[in-house]
Amino acid sequence: MDFQFGKKEEEFRSEIREFVKEHIPQNEYGHMFEEEHEDKSWEFSMSIAKKLAQKRWLTLTWPKEFGGMGASFMERLVFSEEVGYWGIPGVGMGVSGTAWVGPSLMLFGTKEQQEKYIPLIAAGDPDGVWCTGYSEPDSGSDLASLQTSCVRDGDEYIINGQKVWTSAAHRSRWCWMAVRTDSNVKKKHHGLSLVIVDMKSEGLTVRPLKNYVGLHYFNEIFLSDVRIPVENLVGQENNGWNHLMQALSFERGVALGFTASCRRMLDELINHTKETGLIKKTLVRQRLAELEADLEGARTLAYEAVWKMENGLSRIYEPSRDKANVDLLFEKMSRFGSDILGAFSQLDPLHADPRWAKIGGIYENLFHACPGIAIAAGTTDTQRNIVGQFGLQLPRSY
Amino acid sequence: MDFSFTKDQELIRKSIKEFFEKECPKDKVRELKEDKKGYDPKMWKKMVKLGYTGLVIPEEYGGTEGEFWDILIFMEEMGRNIVPTPYFPTVVFCAMPILEFGTEAQKKKILPKIAEKGEIWAYAQIEESSEQDASGITMSAAMSGEDYTLNGSKLFVSYANVANQLLVVARTAEAENPEEGLTVFIVDAGAEGVVCDVIPTTARDMRCELRFDNVKVPRDNILGEPGKGWAVVDYIQQHAAVLKAAEMSGGAHAVLNITVKYAKERKQFDKPIGSFQAIQHRLVDMLTEVEELQYLVYKAAWRINSGSPSRRLNSIAKAKANGVYHRVCYHGIVMHGAIGWTEEMDIGLYHLRTRSMEFDAGNTDYHNDLIASELEKSEPEFLTLFA
Repeated sequence: MDFQFGKKEEEFRSEIREFVKEHIPQNEYGHMFEEEHEDKSWEFSMSIAKKLAQKRWLTLTWPKEFGGMGASFMERLVFSEEVGYWGIPGVGMGVSGTAWVGPSLMLFGTKEQQEKYIPLIAAGDPDGVWCTGYSEPDSGSDLASLQTSCVRDGDEYIINGQKVWTSAAHRSRWCWMAVRTDSNVKKKHHGLSLVIVDMKSEGLTVRPLKNYVGLHYFNEIFLSDVRIPVENLVGQENNGWNHLMQALSFERGVALGFTASCRRMLDELINHTKETGLIKKTLVRQRLAELEADLEGARTLAYEAVWKMENGLSRIYEPSRDKANVDLLFEKMSRFGSDILGAFSQLDPLHADPRWAKIGGIYENLFHACPGIAIAAGTTDTQRNIVGQFGLQLPRSY
Repeated sequence: MDFSFTKDQELIRKSIKEFFEKECPKDKVRELKEDKKGYDPKMWKKMVKLGYTGLVIPEEYGGTEGEFWDILIFMEEMGRNIVPTPYFPTVVFCAMPILEFGTEAQKKKILPKIAEKGEIWAYAQIEESSEQDASGITMSAAMSGEDYTLNGSKLFVSYANVANQLLVVARTAEAENPEEGLTVFIVDAGAEGVVCDVIPTTARDMRCELRFDNVKVPRDNILGEPGKGWAVVDYIQQHAAVLKAAEMSGGAHAVLNITVKYAKERKQFDKPIGSFQAIQHRLVDMLTEVEELQYLVYKAAWRINSGSPSRRLNSIAKAKANGVYHRVCYHGIVMHGAIGWTEEMDIGLYHLRTRSMEFDAGNTDYHNDLIASELEKSEPEFLTLFA
């Protein structure tokens, strides 16, 4: 047993912190929740993305020949932690491109596709921003039931349908979309395909879907006779489900930096209770300690998952276990933190006013971001299904 | 980073596991429930012979000079099998602080008896207030000539009924800070004026009331420095917290396994109950908690083993263990349905031990407060980087 990072990882961490000192403004941690909401913060995010690209950190796990740095799982963990703790924006440019579009294209895209799209992502270019069109109004957790049709017409496909909960669609140049290319199939998993859709296409409309606080993260996409060239098919036609599963496996580990975000928010809370003297109160002490223990646990488990990945051991259920665990931690943290801030926890994050906001407004943001976190990338309960099936070898429950 | 044990450590675990499986099946646990001594002297002898009571004791004092990891693994396996034995009070509560604070003469005299002969010791700290911090210690020890005289009583002293020797914490001077003026005494359990009564408790780990009526203790029988006994108590609590947490982690693992097995076998509505999400999701949450506890214990142990113990991690391990062990037992029993609530099932034997284990070496409130004290002292990185 050894819970220490190696020298290589510690050096990488120091290097990232030098970058933070130089480029990331202090005391603006609250903005990390609003990256895609405002034009101003999106522009800042993209400017940081450019700088990260120069360091090859934007796509650090990618192989060197595709513009990455060929980082290990442990280095990726360190990077994700620093991103989470310091609130480094722009790391994913809407997440899709760096996390799974690039790696998927490397795996089953054509050479032309690789040459056209991958350099734009790796460079942190605005034309390298992607969104992902999986969910539909009637297809959420049961993704294979999706209905958006994609019909071949000569050298083109014609797409009709609707996508929903599409994060960053309003900032994206391309959409990585799952569509139905064959509807006469016995099993719903057959007849699906993956395609690349130009967000500037005629017949494509993006409608903002604001969350209940009024923040603009995700969107609906309406597709009415949208035409794409056949070369925009990724992988084999009607083999989309397998490709999707491959792409989804890259999504694992997206939550790695979450515990570091929690660390920052808890550090801020502890610091606040020290400054105000609240830390002398028994109940506050008990709550802080409980959060500290939960966080230490979540972090240690996340490390275990990464260690297993690095060593080629089972990693089927661990990322799901950790996602569900962090969902619960975020919720508890938002509740305890808000209780400690008292009346000030009811401030409207959309109209943040430094005159009133405590700790930069991060707990007001977190409180209503929590449900979204617990839904994104598979709800807490969906994750539990996976852990039950693969971690405990229980019968499939859904 | 390495989340695995060495081959040697795996071998140690295997032999301990096999020993307990053979020597202490659940029938034995049930049998000892009604035993006056609360342990099986034959099994204890075998444990001593295998070197288990000398795991952390250096060879020069008759031990096997293992690492902290060895005793941690031992505690995990003992917890998995809920073995009724005076091991914890003897080795963790007494031998370990004697090794740390004892004079050379004390170590030479005492440690081989524990390591080689299996002499039983008990640790007396808790009193009527049930407080685990220094304020809970009010029993007095007055100096008279070359001796100290102990008067007062101690409660819930585990296995004092069969102990040869006791470590007793008493107040030798009044001070504003309750952590000052404490002294730890080595007391012969058979000394005149010591009276022991067993208190009936659910874990059957022989919790005793010890009354001291003008008990004379020679000055040489002080462990550590007079008046500075809190250092010894704190050392005991810090190390015992991690080892008790290891024991509880082993127990929680066992309960999870018992429940998962049952959920796969038991059928209702023609399906294993484990196929229902209401059951499955609870089992998943249990798995996460149990794995989390396991690694939190390892992390604290790793710091102890490498010579830089972390008070924060020690307390986290125990606070977590307290919560997790109970929750896993409670939900495990409920998921079994009515059968889970009967004495026929093993799962209840685990739950009967949770109160004892939660209290030993610090309950949740106590450790949470210690964690908060560590947080008060810490400097957050977001302030230091830009400073």
